[in-house]
Amino acid sequence: MPRVLLVEDNEMNRDMLSRRLQKRGFDVTIAVDGREGIDKALAEPYDLILMDISLPEIDGWTAARRLRTSPQTERTPIIALTAHAMAGDRQKALEAGCDDYDTKPIELDRLLGKMNALLNRRP
Amino acid sequence: MTTPGFTRPGLRGNEIGQLRHEMRTPVNAVLGYSEMLLEDAPEHRAHLEEAVEAAGAVLAAIEGALPPTAAEIDSRDIESLHAAIRPHQERILRAVDAIAAQAAPGQSGLAADLARIRLAAGRLVTTGVAAAPAGVGSPAADAAAGDASADAPTVIAEVPRAPVASAPPAAALDRGFRLLVVDDVADNRTVLARRLQREGHLVECAENGRDALETVAAKPFDLILLDIMMPGIDGFEVLRRLKHAPETADIPVIMISALDDLESVVRCIEQGAEDHLTKPFEPVLLRARINASLEKKRLRDREKEYIAEVKTIAEAATAVEEGRYTPASLARAAMRPDELGRLARVFDGMAAEVKAREDRLRRQVMELRQEIEAVRQGVVTTGPEDTRLPIGHALAGRYEIELVVGFGAMGTVYKAFDRELAEPVAVKVLRPDLLSDSTVVDRFKAEVRLARRISHPTVVRTHDFGEFDGLHYLTMEYVEGLTARALLDSRGRLGVAAVLALAAQLAQALAAAHAQGVIHRDIKPQNLLLDERGILKVMDFGVSRLADSAGGVREAGLLIGTPAYMAPEQLLGDDVDERTDLYATGVVLFECLTGRLPFEAESPVALVARVLQESPPCASALYEDVPTAFSALIARLLAKRREARPSSAVELQRLLDQIA
Repeated sequence: MPRVLLVEDNEMNRDMLSRRLQKRGFDVTIAVDGREGIDKALAEPYDLILMDISLPEIDGWTAARRLRTSPQTERTPIIALTAHAMAGDRQKALEAGCDDYDTKPIELDRLLGKMNALLNRRP
Repeated sequence: MTTPGFTRPGLRGNEIGQLRHEMRTPVNAVLGYSEMLLEDAPEHRAHLEEAVEAAGAVLAAIEGALPPTAAEIDSRDIESLHAAIRPHQERILRAVDAIAAQAAPGQSGLAADLARIRLAAGRLVTTGVAAAPAGVGSPAADAAAGDASADAPTVIAEVPRAPVASAPPAAALDRGFRLLVVDDVADNRTVLARRLQREGHLVECAENGRDALETVAAKPFDLILLDIMMPGIDGFEVLRRLKHAPETADIPVIMISALDDLESVVRCIEQGAEDHLTKPFEPVLLRARINASLEKKRLRDREKEYIAEVKTIAEAATAVEEGRYTPASLARAAMRPDELGRLARVFDGMAAEVKAREDRLRRQVMELRQEIEAVRQGVVTTGPEDTRLPIGHALAGRYEIELVVGFGAMGTVYKAFDRELAEPVAVKVLRPDLLSDSTVVDRFKAEVRLARRISHPTVVRTHDFGEFDGLHYLTMEYVEGLTARALLDSRGRLGVAAVLALAAQLAQALAAAHAQGVIHRDIKPQNLLLDERGILKVMDFGVSRLADSAGGVREAGLLIGTPAYMAPEQLLGDDVDERTDLYATGVVLFECLTGRLPFEAESPVALVARVLQESPPCASALYEDVPTAFSALIARLLAKRREARPSSAVELQRLLDQIA
């Protein structure tokens, strides 16, 4: 069962997405802001991280950059999620070290496709 | 004057991104839960598909009005967008109600998810009152403040909204700000305060102008939201008083009013308001304006802090100049991670070094003063009386002779009282035979003019050269003190610290003179005057040139000083330069440290031969307390070839610093 860390501050979206992923066989751990996301990612290994970008405390760009500098998480796939979705956000996400990028509202099949592509890429 | 066409400003750049985020986030929840229920409760497919389709329409409306590349939008476009969304919002709510009506009792999971959809749908219109379903909220408050989302029912406990890190200016909010809401209408105050509290701010309220001024005087605020139309002291007057008082002038004030005429807005801005919002206002705009104002205040505060730190560093520089710098005074600035912090750290390091050096010199001078004081106790400093100028005689009708203070090869030095300036001066009356021809006098005058340009605390100032009644004389600064000669004659040898103090001051004096192109030519203990504070004053700059110019002085046996202090090139009649003075300095320092000359002989001729041919003894070999480095430096100063000496007095200062 792939272990996924979902970093999302909006309670409803967190509840909704984590339940939908669990129903599809993912082991989902929740973090409610960037700082908690970093702490949890460094504390335990995950197969993939879903990172909301607009987060309190430490935003998703910063969190992703920090995770990329740590040996435990430098190779963990990260997908950036944002409802902000302005021009340039995708490029910013990739520059911050994210492997992929998706916008909210989430199209679950599209997101699952991206998640599986990254999970299958693992050595 | 009113301007019907006045338009409230819209949103730009990141504010648009933030609005997209706010509006798309509840769409995500509506779609997500609806799609999830399609899997879990397929019996409600028709209504759920209606909800999904309506949410899709909302999304399309958002994308149409707020495209990802939008740079600026007008507030009327936002209102149009809300209007476009509302029918779809109602479709979603009707679909949810229909499912709820059909749901079997006991389906608590379904009911909870429907509640979530309902809540998310309520937020589709940027959490504004207009988005709330009919019959929900407080109509009175809505009408007054334009926002009643705080009154919307929550089915699940809502997490307080923390500032969003990636959405400036909220991104800059690393703490809850302290805000003051001033409005005479209770509903308005309550609704606005609740909304701001939900944004994470600390909110206080005031119900009139006087209350507001008293509250602001009692505690600090980051921002004030101020109603204009109030009984008693109105908003304009409150604003005027706030901006007039230095302690409150920097608090940003956003004026909130039903007045939307241009004149009122202009008046607010002119009086110093940060912004102006017209009721009923858009909640998104309110948040954007508040965050922008707070961000500006934060930047201003940072700028003020920066300027204060710059001022601290400037004051530290003054303190260094005035000798009262304390290293801890820059501790705060030095902790800054920026260039200013670096400057403070570097400055602090340099200042600490300067202070240590000054402390060291002060200690050395103290020792020199003790040596001087010991001699002053028992030495008569007056010289023999010159019969040519009796005490009380007024030379040139101006300089009243008081006593003889020195007597030498060049003439006699008197202490005199300058009747013109009413202060003591030293008058050196020159031997008439030295100035027998006018060419020599002119050359000497030129030399004196040059010497007068030397202005340094360690050099005796030369005032004037004059001739009266057949006598040529120089007037100079009068210094009460002892010559190093008298000190040595009395003490024998001086302590190392005292000699270092004398050496440092002598090097400074020579550096100042050499910078003006003046070579002393006759540095010797007789020309080094020490006042009671231990401050050195070098005398007779330029005077010895007279002897050279006049010629025949040596032939006459009236040597300038003694060959013991003369550099080999000087004894051989070669050209002299600043290194010639450095040689003499070496002799003086050797004598001060050891109480004897480096070369001694029974006759001048034998002395000259030894100076030219022999190596001087090592001072540290004669006295163990003389540091080897100091002894080696003196040996360099006494080098026969001037190229082997330190290149300048400035270089000598540097070398002395290393020893100290």
